[in-house]
Amino acid sequence: MFEFLFKYPLSIYRQGTFIFLAGWPIWLMGLGVLAAAGVLGFLIWRQSSGSTRMGVVRRTSVWVLQTALAALLLFLLWHPALSVSALKPQQNIVAVVIDDSTSMTTNDENSTRKEAAEKVLNGGLLKALQEKFQVRLYKMSDHAERIDKLEQLTAGATATHIGESLKQVAADASSLPIGAMILLSDGADNSGGVDLETLAEIRRQRIPVHTIGLGRETMSHDVEISNVDVASRALPESRLGATVSFHQHGYTGQKAKITLKEGSKIVASQDVTLKAEGTEQVETVLFNPGDAGVKTIEAAIEPFPNEENLRNNRVTRLVNVDARKPRLLYLEGEPRWEFKFLRRAVEDDKYIDLFSILRTAQNKLYRQEQKDGKQGLTNTNELKDGFPSTVEELFGFDGIIFGSVDAPYLTKNQQEMVKQFVDRRGGGVLFLGGKDSLSDGGWAKSVDADILPTVLPDRKNTYSFVGADVELTPAGQDSLITRIEEDPIKNVERWKKLPYIRTFQDPGEPKLGAVVLANFIPKEGGGVKRPLLITMNYGRGRSAIFATGGSWRWQMLQPLADMSHEMFYRQLLRWIVSDTPQHVTGSTPKSVLADESHVKLRAEVRDKTYLPASDAIVEAHITGEGAQQETVNMVPEPLEQGVYGADWTAPQAGSYIVEVVAKRGTEEIGRDTFTFRREDGVAENFHVEQNRELLQKLSAETGGSYYKPSDAQKLGKDINYSQAGITVRETRDLWDMPAIFLLFLGIRAAEWLLRRRWGVI
Amino acid sequence: MRLRAAVFLILGGLGTWGVLHAQKPFLSYEVAEEHAEASLPPDWERDAEWTRARLKYTSSTFEHPLPNNTGRYGWRTDYPLGDRHTLQGLLRLTRVDAKSVEQVVELDNSSDIYNWPFLYGVEVGHWSLNDEEADQMRDYLLRGGFFMTDDFHGTLEWDVFMEGMRKVFPRRPVVDIDNKDEIFHVIYDIDQRSRIPGAQFIYSGIPWEFDGFEPKFRAIYDDKGRIMVGICHNVDMGDAIEWSDDPRYPENYASLAYRVSANYVMYDLTH
Repeated sequence: MFEFLFKYPLSIYRQGTFIFLAGWPIWLMGLGVLAAAGVLGFLIWRQSSGSTRMGVVRRTSVWVLQTALAALLLFLLWHPALSVSALKPQQNIVAVVIDDSTSMTTNDENSTRKEAAEKVLNGGLLKALQEKFQVRLYKMSDHAERIDKLEQLTAGATATHIGESLKQVAADASSLPIGAMILLSDGADNSGGVDLETLAEIRRQRIPVHTIGLGRETMSHDVEISNVDVASRALPESRLGATVSFHQHGYTGQKAKITLKEGSKIVASQDVTLKAEGTEQVETVLFNPGDAGVKTIEAAIEPFPNEENLRNNRVTRLVNVDARKPRLLYLEGEPRWEFKFLRRAVEDDKYIDLFSILRTAQNKLYRQEQKDGKQGLTNTNELKDGFPSTVEELFGFDGIIFGSVDAPYLTKNQQEMVKQFVDRRGGGVLFLGGKDSLSDGGWAKSVDADILPTVLPDRKNTYSFVGADVELTPAGQDSLITRIEEDPIKNVERWKKLPYIRTFQDPGEPKLGAVVLANFIPKEGGGVKRPLLITMNYGRGRSAIFATGGSWRWQMLQPLADMSHEMFYRQLLRWIVSDTPQHVTGSTPKSVLADESHVKLRAEVRDKTYLPASDAIVEAHITGEGAQQETVNMVPEPLEQGVYGADWTAPQAGSYIVEVVAKRGTEEIGRDTFTFRREDGVAENFHVEQNRELLQKLSAETGGSYYKPSDAQKLGKDINYSQAGITVRETRDLWDMPAIFLLFLGIRAAEWLLRRRWGVI
Repeated sequence: MRLRAAVFLILGGLGTWGVLHAQKPFLSYEVAEEHAEASLPPDWERDAEWTRARLKYTSSTFEHPLPNNTGRYGWRTDYPLGDRHTLQGLLRLTRVDAKSVEQVVELDNSSDIYNWPFLYGVEVGHWSLNDEEADQMRDYLLRGGFFMTDDFHGTLEWDVFMEGMRKVFPRRPVVDIDNKDEIFHVIYDIDQRSRIPGAQFIYSGIPWEFDGFEPKFRAIYDDKGRIMVGICHNVDMGDAIEWSDDPRYPENYASLAYRVSANYVMYDLTH
């Protein structure tokens, strides 16, 4: 329709420049319009002055229409035209890039995409191009490769990197007159899209990229997992959540089963109801990764019988279950039931060591240790004098719990050490409510007020023995700390039924960035909700307040078999310590490489006092499948103190274990082990729908156009216009556009109709 | 009519539920022994982290009936002065934030007893437990409660005590507490434990009663090796503490009683 009205396709208008061929100055046309307006106005007023039917408004309307007509005539007199740059026939190259990845084997409407591409090219387009240009054929995967004929296409490449491929073709243009590129693809890029640098390079060379989109834009029956998020490290026997994001077409309202498997063993499964078509749905499936070791977790959605693509229903992730046993230090200021029952709640957790110091009497301390599920001090001299007074002693722990302890009990140095424990060491700190805790314990005036997740009230007597009920906040409903029932809905109900807590303490207002997981509602005094359980990340570590000393009732007032209290405290204490880093922490951005081999290794190295160690010698010892080993030196990252990096290429598919060792001279600072996995032949299984948006954007950004296969033959004509390659400037007349004729007729008809309506004809 | 009945039923049910799940308030009971009478301390209403619960039980046989014959007073022995002195001792000697008055509790099938995880039972040589009471005691202890017994002497009273205790734990052994056990070291080191006679010693000079010549500190342990029931047999700590401010009562016995009591409380709070 556009071309019918405006004589030329839109692509020519985009590329062309609007000009007037008459050679007269434009201001003269403007003057002419003004003069015509003046004369017409005079004539209309003089002719209609005696007529009662032609009031001011009507005369003005007629004047406007006649002036418009005069303007249009003047416009035509000036001879409007379009100046376009056209490719010189036979002197330019057109690069035809055809997607050769496995997604092109997808069947759409009784033919594969590869077949559709061949049909478009063999259906006249290639011939039309070859008549005017030299045509270079390329097949595209994670790079572009020249081919001589279409028969060399295999649709077997395991990845699609459009940006990288076009960049290569554009690089040829620096030595060859490439006038345009034609990309035949479904746009299913695995590298995250076409980067700005590539676009800039193509734009700089003014090469338009015309895209022909292949394949359906949406599948009619498919469920696809977009992503799975799960912690890359965990303690043994933890409760982890795998957040599975997925979308579907064709199964709205139906039930699907998400399973998590480790090897052949199903570790968790959950039934979900599929939401609206195309919307991203997120479900969290809880699972226990088991004992120490590297766990390969496969998240899958059971396929439906008529599903079109079954290869996008499963995704693999790695979880490194740490063999280390974090140590928690619990300083309690007064013997009380909360102390007793907290220790009991976690005594069976073999993976957390709890060292407690209790102030039993003035100047008397009682030390206890729970380790490997057993009671008894490992070292009878450890912390004989109470709370650690050196950084090395304190930083040997992964987490701290303060019971009813007032801040002045610690020296200023110890208080500062606690702050550094969180900020620099990356440890976790939990404050419990108590008559000497929080505000009542003078913590508001301590340096440790900074690490608290709330702004403490500026008053005393914040601790109360009035009972209070507890309820989860929306954040608490999602949190694994407060998940005492697997099912989230049942969990909310379970919390509502917990016995009331014996005491509570006003913790103040949550800081920005703090998360309130549960509130308490006092049984007296109006029942105003206040935060009970609040968490926050601070520096490299984290802190929490559990503003009560009375949760022991969850144990005593519930049946013996009930494990709510145990589960809650175990999960809370694990949260305190799970992410506490050690002296060396190794990582990669992705634990699973999908059809890529490059991996960026990273290590963060801290010395004995957890200050960044920028002078360490760091090596990564990599062991792959079949026990092949390689050692890579890691070099300091320029902008990050204590951080070391290395690039490496995984030679084949499989799992790799990396042990990072950091030394200073001959002394070892520490070591860490992590894993990653390379998987081949998976990237192309996902996002197999035509990514029309990407293809359209690519062509729009480069001055090209997007075509469907059905109108791809037009490309034979449109491709003539480009600013790249060897071009010639051409002029296209616009005066004879049908749109101008219609406009002319329209103005005259409008005046006639108005006059007729007013009875002045 | 039906609606009103339904409303009352619901309110009654809710009230009952509330009572069942809430702790009962402090109540004073009639004193059995004149000497043990005590007025309420000025801070008796002060809330505190820790409270000692005194077990109110049904007596089996005892030859000293109450003046008003309202029932056997076995559980009221030393009540309330013994409790008040014990609590003052705890406040003085430890950092336990103890309430200054005791809480009398019963094995009445309500949830009240679970609010008081430390239970003191005196003169248990004259107690009786029926099956329901025994079931609740067992449940209480296994959930984490601690039961300390005191002031029962000799073989006969031991048998009466054990008759009740065997309903609670038919198969768990009763063992002598080893000297090395933490209960004797958690706050005070009490390796040497002499007799702690009752107030009768002031008049009789005899530091034992019936055939309870040797003080016995025994226990029933849970599956994790923690003492659930601390059995103090052939000693009378209640009297020793009750009479601790009487110059006629030997200070060494009173001191020992305070220390043992403190240790038992501290042991419970740390295990």
